[in-house]
Amino acid sequence: MIIAERKPFAEIKAAVAPYEKILIVGCGTCVAVCLVGGEKEVGLLASQLKLARGLEGKHLEIGEITVERQCDLEFIRPLCDFIADYDAIISMACGAGVQYLGQLCYMRPIFPAVNTAFIGVNEEAGLYSERCLACNNCYLAVTGGICPVTMCPKGLLNGPCGGTINGRCEVDPERECAWTQIYQRLENQGRQEQMREILPLHPHDRRTTSGKVIHPAYKRRYGGHE
Amino acid sequence: MSRLKKALEADKFPVVAELQPPKGIALDNMFSPVGFLKKRVTAFSVPDNEHARLRLSSLAACRLLKEADAEPLLHLTCRDRNRLALESDLLGAAVLGINNVLVVSGDYVTLGDHPQAKPVYDADSVQLLQIAQGLMAGHDSAGLPLNGNPDFFLGAVVIPEADPWVPQLIKFEKKVAAGAQFFITPAVFDLEKFRAFRQSLPPHPIKILASIEILGTEEVAQAKEGKWRQVYSLPPEILQELTAAEAEKVLFKGAEIAGRLLKQLKEENLADGVYLKAQGRADLFTMVLEGGGL
Ligand code: SF4
Ligand code: SF4
Repeated sequence: MIIAERKPFAEIKAAVAPYEKILIVGCGTCVAVCLVGGEKEVGLLASQLKLARGLEGKHLEIGEITVERQCDLEFIRPLCDFIADYDAIISMACGAGVQYLGQLCYMRPIFPAVNTAFIGVNEEAGLYSERCLACNNCYLAVTGGICPVTMCPKGLLNGPCGGTINGRCEVDPERECAWTQIYQRLENQGRQEQMREILPLHPHDRRTTSGKVIHPAYKRRYGGHE
Repeated sequence: MSRLKKALEADKFPVVAELQPPKGIALDNMFSPVGFLKKRVTAFSVPDNEHARLRLSSLAACRLLKEADAEPLLHLTCRDRNRLALESDLLGAAVLGINNVLVVSGDYVTLGDHPQAKPVYDADSVQLLQIAQGLMAGHDSAGLPLNGNPDFFLGAVVIPEADPWVPQLIKFEKKVAAGAQFFITPAVFDLEKFRAFRQSLPPHPIKILASIEILGTEEVAQAKEGKWRQVYSLPPEILQELTAAEAEKVLFKGAEIAGRLLKQLKEENLADGVYLKAQGRADLFTMVLEGGGL
């Protein structure tokens, strides 16, 4: 899932300072699981903003709503009607959600309340770690199920760099060297020969071109158009 | 043809002296050892933003070496350039008469003095060797033909004390397959470990230059405080010698040790040549060479 972190309150407060009627929109999926942008966090941000404005003796009206997924047209379309009543929107979704809602309600300024950090896993409540950079050319089949693009800070595709020390990463001794782990995983599975294959240059164009994925069924139905 | 290549192929035990390009454009210090050492070493090597700290470009410095009638060894890091820039710098090096190239991944940006810079690593060192091979064969990394092929003598890095060793060995072999013709190691202080490394290498006609280094006071202090974070080890007796010396004499003591190591490496035939890091100082280079009987 997508992992995000709440922006500092001062930054959010400053961004929406000119507005008196603000709608805060939460998202009930990834950011709710990582405890930064779900219904509870919408309530919390609303109270913080009201309190801060109140202390300054300024007027502020806040609306709160949380939808199932802000990255899904089906769930945000009904928001159009509400939004007309507000001067500005604060979205607590990931960057995709903020943009999609902003695109739909393009007449109103939209402000993100979180910094989208990465695609990762939920180790336990409150502990998340990165696993994938969405490179669109997944290597996990040949790297023992450990991502070299993400877990090695240099994204090396052909083995450890010269900086690894005792299986730790040169970038941060707290972290394990991804390539040492890949080697060990492959060795445990009796597949270490796999590491001898030279992987070619990464096809970056797969990430930087249209950035669209069209499901085959959709293509059949609509002939490849959106 | 590369003088370095010739010397290695003729088993002449070449010495490559590492220069320290300035952060700025004042060249005096960097070039001070050149005139004097030109006759005593085979080539001068210029790191490429070493340790991710900004320095004058290796390419420019290598060309200046050429103009001073010295043999340059260009370093090219994958950290700072995408494949287009790597290829175009390689072609540029070739027309400037620079044929010796050491390919490195490059220390990560956050370890250097521009920690917020964007790390590139579009190619890794194995892929960069393949790219250079491709240019020599007349095509770029996209497979398109070149108008005039360059010629390179390609080097890469190997870490003798890597732990675990097998992934490093696999990478070494990939580098050989990708076109590396010689290797440079990090500093060697522990000859026992270096002997073990030589024995564990499969028989390759690949040339190995062992690094001999004079540690700076910073590294010595690190080791003393138990904060050693290098990919080579420092045996306690050597650390003892270095820390026993007065602060300003640490470098001279280091040069003495380096000379001793150099002699042993040569006598025992443990390396095909040496890569000398002596703080870029003419007096220290001289001490090491004399200590090593060269
Ligand atoms: S290789 Fe890594 S970054 Fe690419 S898709 Fe697979 S997990 Fe994600
Ligand atoms: S130490 Fe390992 S994980 Fe860290 S940058 Fe080098 S290869 Fe990648």
